[in-house]
Amino acid sequence: MEKRERLVYDVLVVGGGIAGCESALNLAKLGYKVLLIEKELSIGGKMILLSKVFPTLDCAACITTPKVSEIARHPNITIYTSTRSSSIIRKDDHNFEVRLVRKPRYVHIDDCTGCQLCEEACPVSITDEYQYGMVGRKAAYVPFSIASPRAAAIDIENCTLCGACERVCPTNCIDFTMEEEHLLLSVKSVVVATGFELFDPVKIPRYGFGKFKNVLTSMQMERQLAPTRPFNTILRPGDGKMPDNIAYVLCTGSRDKSVGNPICSQICCMYSIKQAQLLMGALPMADITIYYLHIRAFGKGFNEFYAQAQDMDVQFIKGKVGNITEKENGNLLLRVENIEKGTIMEAEHDMVVLSVGILPNMDLSESFKNEALTLDPFNFVDQADMMASPAKTSIDGVFVAGTASGPMDIPDSILSGGAASAEATSYLRRDTK
Amino acid sequence: MNKKIGVYVCHCGGNISDYVDVEKVRTAIENDEGICLAKTTMFACADSNQKEMVDDILAQKLDGVVVASCSPMLHLITFRAVVERAGLNKYNYVHANIREQVSWAHSDNKAGATDKAIRIVKAAIAKVREAESLEPLKIKATKAVAVIGGGVAGLRAAIELAEAGSDVYLIEKEHFVGGRVSQWDTLCMTDETGKELVTRLYNELMKHRNITLYTGAEVVKHSGSVGNFKLELTLRPRYIRFNCTEEELQKAIDVCPVEVPDEFNFGITRRKAIYHNYPSEYPHLPAIDMNNCTRCGKCEKVCSHIDFSQKIKQVDLTVGSILLATGFDPYEPSEGEFGYGTIKNVVTLQQFKRIVHYCDNNLVYNGKKIENIAYIYCVGSRQLDGENKYCSRYCCTSNIYTAITVKKKYKTIHNYHFNRGIRTYGKQEVLYEESSKLGDIYLQSFEDDPPVVTYQDGKTMVKINDILTGHKSLEMVADLVVLVTGMVPRKDNATGELLKIPRGRDKFFNEIHMKLRPVETVIDGVTIAGASQGPKNIMESMNSALAAAAKSFSLINSGELALEPIVAKVDKQICEWCGKCEAACPYNAFSKLDVEGKTVAQVNKSICKGCGMCLPVCPVDAIELTAYSNKEIEHMIDALIPNP
Amino acid sequence: MASGKLNEGPKILVFSTEKISDPAIDMAGLLKLHYPPTVYTIAVPCSSAIKPRWVLHAFEQGFDGVFIAADGTDCPYGESCTEKTGELTRVTQEMMKEKGMDPSRLKMAAICSVCSEAFVKHVKSFTENLLKTSN
Repeated sequence: MEKRERLVYDVLVVGGGIAGCESALNLAKLGYKVLLIEKELSIGGKMILLSKVFPTLDCAACITTPKVSEIARHPNITIYTSTRSSSIIRKDDHNFEVRLVRKPRYVHIDDCTGCQLCEEACPVSITDEYQYGMVGRKAAYVPFSIASPRAAAIDIENCTLCGACERVCPTNCIDFTMEEEHLLLSVKSVVVATGFELFDPVKIPRYGFGKFKNVLTSMQMERQLAPTRPFNTILRPGDGKMPDNIAYVLCTGSRDKSVGNPICSQICCMYSIKQAQLLMGALPMADITIYYLHIRAFGKGFNEFYAQAQDMDVQFIKGKVGNITEKENGNLLLRVENIEKGTIMEAEHDMVVLSVGILPNMDLSESFKNEALTLDPFNFVDQADMMASPAKTSIDGVFVAGTASGPMDIPDSILSGGAASAEATSYLRRDTK
Repeated sequence: MNKKIGVYVCHCGGNISDYVDVEKVRTAIENDEGICLAKTTMFACADSNQKEMVDDILAQKLDGVVVASCSPMLHLITFRAVVERAGLNKYNYVHANIREQVSWAHSDNKAGATDKAIRIVKAAIAKVREAESLEPLKIKATKAVAVIGGGVAGLRAAIELAEAGSDVYLIEKEHFVGGRVSQWDTLCMTDETGKELVTRLYNELMKHRNITLYTGAEVVKHSGSVGNFKLELTLRPRYIRFNCTEEELQKAIDVCPVEVPDEFNFGITRRKAIYHNYPSEYPHLPAIDMNNCTRCGKCEKVCSHIDFSQKIKQVDLTVGSILLATGFDPYEPSEGEFGYGTIKNVVTLQQFKRIVHYCDNNLVYNGKKIENIAYIYCVGSRQLDGENKYCSRYCCTSNIYTAITVKKKYKTIHNYHFNRGIRTYGKQEVLYEESSKLGDIYLQSFEDDPPVVTYQDGKTMVKINDILTGHKSLEMVADLVVLVTGMVPRKDNATGELLKIPRGRDKFFNEIHMKLRPVETVIDGVTIAGASQGPKNIMESMNSALAAAAKSFSLINSGELALEPIVAKVDKQICEWCGKCEAACPYNAFSKLDVEGKTVAQVNKSICKGCGMCLPVCPVDAIELTAYSNKEIEHMIDALIPNP
Repeated sequence: MASGKLNEGPKILVFSTEKISDPAIDMAGLLKLHYPPTVYTIAVPCSSAIKPRWVLHAFEQGFDGVFIAADGTDCPYGESCTEKTGELTRVTQEMMKEKGMDPSRLKMAAICSVCSEAFVKHVKSFTENLLKTSN
């Protein structure tokens, strides 16, 4: 379905994570009309799924949800979820022609009350990607409890079209006739806030992720610790036992040329230290060991936070984890090159968390059709004038915010979102048309 | 008259409910006078709950709302907005802090925490019963921003503000702009030098007619508040007139007999009392350093543009917002710290960069050719015993970059890095790898066992128990020892003190909230940028400068500000003018008023800031503060304590 | 105080200030620096706005101690705050003496916006002192 009329906005913000939200809100507050597009079913990005955030241990939801709610309500902001851009063409100064593809949700958001009756009625069970595969969800589902919009969606790929959801929906908001929408719009400026991808540790077979059930990614652990967690406690996925000897393997997929990522992901040390502290609160008897190469505790309050973890008796071992094998009882044996002792050691843990790194999200770069959005050697969006105008990209009028330009933590992403909005503001003011 | 009150007790996803029995809190208050509705909620601030609150307020016709959740610093504004959306005056909302001041503070005592939470919610209910609807005070905001600090963060913020349409006053303490970055050569990750970056920014700055640059300037007095800050500046004269030629100037510099250590080069060179940091620096005009000038008059004889009659000038400004970008100082090692000040060839990283700058074909220091360089990391940072517990963030990268540059420039250099764990985070990692490839040697120790620098038989020795080689004790002879010194807050915090900007545990300026309000301070209208807030590299400083500029601009953009209508009120029946309130008021908000032959005090609402300093001094208790009346406070006290 | 014990210790009312000392008390919670849950806080704009009658009212209602967490030199409303808060404390203590109350039940100390540790130390030792004097 192609909509004929052309929509007009001042700014297109691509990506509804924390950086995109910050940019969109700043611009909207100055009176600019903003269209925020998000490929997922909810805005809030990765942050809304986190537990608590370092180094203050504030809960992530408490910071994200009000911001998300403010954006959702702002009269100058329009939000399209399940939407991607298929083409961005720079016509001339302050004029981009953008084509969007909006996937059908099969639910009318405005009518959905999020009652979840459809979820109960749906007979299909599949793994839940928002819980990083640790539990199941239905084909008719509310993505997660603090999602925005908090509305159901139908996963059409897994749906059997049995109609059970339609029958129970009290507001008749489920609509299987919805089609993919193609939208054409004109915008004056674009903010790229497409965030990052997490490294998939399946690419390092010697760690056994996907094969050994008690080897998790840090994002899975993050979900286990989050308020909207899949279980009510910390569990070994293998047998549901509470772990009491947990290992963290830092730099999984970072600083590792063998997987094609030579750079440091900037956040893994700190989130692992944070998870260790939270785990010690949740499982007071548990031992936690962090295998690291260097601890990158560089930001405001970070080194103090690291010292706090040491005081809490989190064990830090400077060493490289060679490989992981599984014992019959589901415990894991780690072969570690202990750098400090200069020896190869073997250590047994009942749960292993792989601290996975940040990879570029290259989704958007193909959308730029006439002028290319230059990427840096690591495939993040290149900052054309890093020292004086960090939000500038290779295309005049296109700005970058947050982790789209490289690894960074939440405070830095928010500042970068602020910077992108500032530069977009002065760019828009130069529009004399 | 009884209010219909709704109360929401937040779990905060466990942050509260793990320690406070929120259901018990709810049942403890649900039957209190006026309570129409009492609910618990997983996240009070979540969109779905906000919607539910609006629906509840409308459906139940509530006229008072309490949310018991986190600190009001986080979400008071959020919930005020919620009740406003339901058509309620926002001052009928009261926030109860049961997270920071209850569940977290008493996570060791669940019963005690629950009991305290009940009391606090009851006090909030007591306050909401008495709360009155108020209209915010609208004031005109001056559409101008004072940017204090002319380093790269200040320069960039000034440009951004000017482009957004604000008048800008850029206030720099020194006679030259560019701050620390003008002291660096090629900057890491780019091919640009610090000077070139400063030049670019300065040229951009000069294009904007709505920016006024004051150099040699300091804020000495301030009054007023957000929307209308009044600043008094003093401008130190340069004692040189602006139309001076290079030639004449050089003559003046040549004849000046005074020589002092040049701070621009961190004391490794000396300069005259008449000086510029480097030729063609901005603004293009030297200055005379009157602290060291002997007034010998020699320069006057060779240069007609010297003018000792120039006087300190005073300038008064009114601005809507203030952006602080006052930067950092490099850590100054104490005498004897790793041989600093006691061993001749021990220098700081900052000095080393200036040494490299002045060396051409050979790297020479104190007349000696340098080949083996020992870099000692974390000097002044991550201190075990000292006050600086923090990591200075930029130094690992900055030092490795400098070491690589030196090695490429002078082929015979050997670099030895005595570190505590290299922190080249993010993309900077590639520098660490490059330096290792170039053959740099890395040796590591932990905080409690730092390397030792000694001097014997004309040799400077550095010794370490290296954990990378199984704690082997290794020793080397160094031609030069470079102390990789970190960032510390400005020694001169006069502006911060004047504006009352709170500082964090690391003594850098403190933001309100690192993630929610990262560039704002508790002083409304004052934002912070760059390394004044904590160690940052240039790109990070730029991001924070731009974010702070956006925030300052958004405050003044509309030309109008809505202020809290919290003001003092005088009961004219009771008042017998004595003048004590007038004397106590820091803002001169009081004046006399004749009411039917009786002299009483009256408050000028647009001047009153609502501090309440007049309240306790009134001998007849005739003054009350909006939202803090005797009734409100005393009923809160009653609610906090169970009746005996 | 042992876990699970009810709030039976001396009850202390803290007057904090919204911009300076209350954030410090918040930070004490954030850092999980525990102190007795019998310490309750009412925040006011500035510590020199506290009326003696409020303090006396607190004692009459059964509070054992009142602690004024003053702005000190960080006060955003001006230099005179320290002196004024000191003066109102002195005046209130005089009134307490007249009523036969022990003036040491009212304490004042400056708490800067990051002085969480100082705050916790003050209220802990105040609690101990009140315990001693009440026995």
